[in-house]
Amino acid sequence: MSHNCPPFPADAPASVIATFFREQANWVRTGMVVSMTFVICYLIWAVAIGRVMGKVVGKESVLIDLQVWGAGLTVVPILISSSFWLAAAFRPEGLPDAILQLLYDMAWLLIDLAYATTSVQMIAIGVAFLQDDREKPLIPRALAWYGIWVAVSFAAECLMPFFKSGAFARNGLLNFWIEFPIWFVWAPTLTYYILNAIPRLEQEAREEAAHA
Amino acid sequence: MPEAILREVRRPARDAARPARRRPGTLPGDPGVWMFITADVSLFCLFFYVFVSGRLASPAIYEESRRQLNAGIGLANTLILLTSSLFVALAVEAARESDREQVKWNLRLAVAAGLGFAALKLTEYALKIHAGLTVTTNEFFAYYYGFTAIHFFHVLIGIGVLTACFVKARREPIDGRYVIWLESAGCYWHMVDLLWIVLFPMLYLLRAA
Repeated sequence: MSHNCPPFPADAPASVIATFFREQANWVRTGMVVSMTFVICYLIWAVAIGRVMGKVVGKESVLIDLQVWGAGLTVVPILISSSFWLAAAFRPEGLPDAILQLLYDMAWLLIDLAYATTSVQMIAIGVAFLQDDREKPLIPRALAWYGIWVAVSFAAECLMPFFKSGAFARNGLLNFWIEFPIWFVWAPTLTYYILNAIPRLEQEAREEAAHA
Repeated sequence: MPEAILREVRRPARDAARPARRRPGTLPGDPGVWMFITADVSLFCLFFYVFVSGRLASPAIYEESRRQLNAGIGLANTLILLTSSLFVALAVEAARESDREQVKWNLRLAVAAGLGFAALKLTEYALKIHAGLTVTTNEFFAYYYGFTAIHFFHVLIGIGVLTACFVKARREPIDGRYVIWLESAGCYWHMVDLLWIVLFPMLYLLRAA
């Protein structure tokens, strides 16, 4: 709702971005309020994953801490970036074009360059579920490896500040059209397997109780 | 061909009964690591496509820029990575024989070669930056720094993974589980090698038509 999918090209004139914020201010405000309110759900999701990870690597594993901290810190740049977009939409009629462009740029630079926090979360999840020695793992090993690959590939975001056009720009083929979709494949797929893991873990607990 | 490589090629049929040996027809290492490798190679294929498209659009700039790279350094790094891959293959071989000392020595040499690659790459970056050739010079150098930096990141991860395998070789039994670990690391390291083998001619050698 802040013209982020795809974002304005980095080489777009400031006037284009400024015009959007002035004409769509209420739309942006609504979107950013929703974003800042519900982004915390990401952390709740991560805590749930952490509980399932505990059944694989043990409750005390540092991987769970890394995963939850990684998710928690992923929430922060989304909150702050949303606040930048919200600030741009708050009184856009009184701000110069360059300031509105700066706020838009700051938000995207933060979102993209804070990738490492999400990478830590994804690698921790991958490494944890690779240690699952069940005959049929809770999470497929291929998905665990895929998550690790996505986390590593996020490093390409480091190139984003150096490009205003092309594949590595913030709206480019790699840094937007590949990096974001590969995460959006990973997250729902992982959610599906986590949800399927819960009844299996409950069944395991019942069987253990029956044997005790 | 060195005897060790010949042994590697012949091994599955000869020693199929060993517990650490993978079943014929299966991939080495953890099957899931091939998901990682396939995805990563696909991503680099995209890089190659982006580069070639840029080159077709501006052949003169790319050719002039290519001439400013030092192919000797690129070739040296190619040979260093290939040597490092050989040491990893020898380490896998030794692990299958449960020869702990040979595993450790070969991993030491593989990591040393990887560090050599990293040192030479950093030297090359420093020389280029000192000469005023930076990521913002033109599109060729943007891609040169971009692609090689991402590859460099892969090298650093590989060095870390091989070091972890070395530490495990010192402390833990060299059993079937360890062999799978080392095979997975070796497959990754060979992928890093393969990517450089494509990057090197594409960046340093490919001449304008």
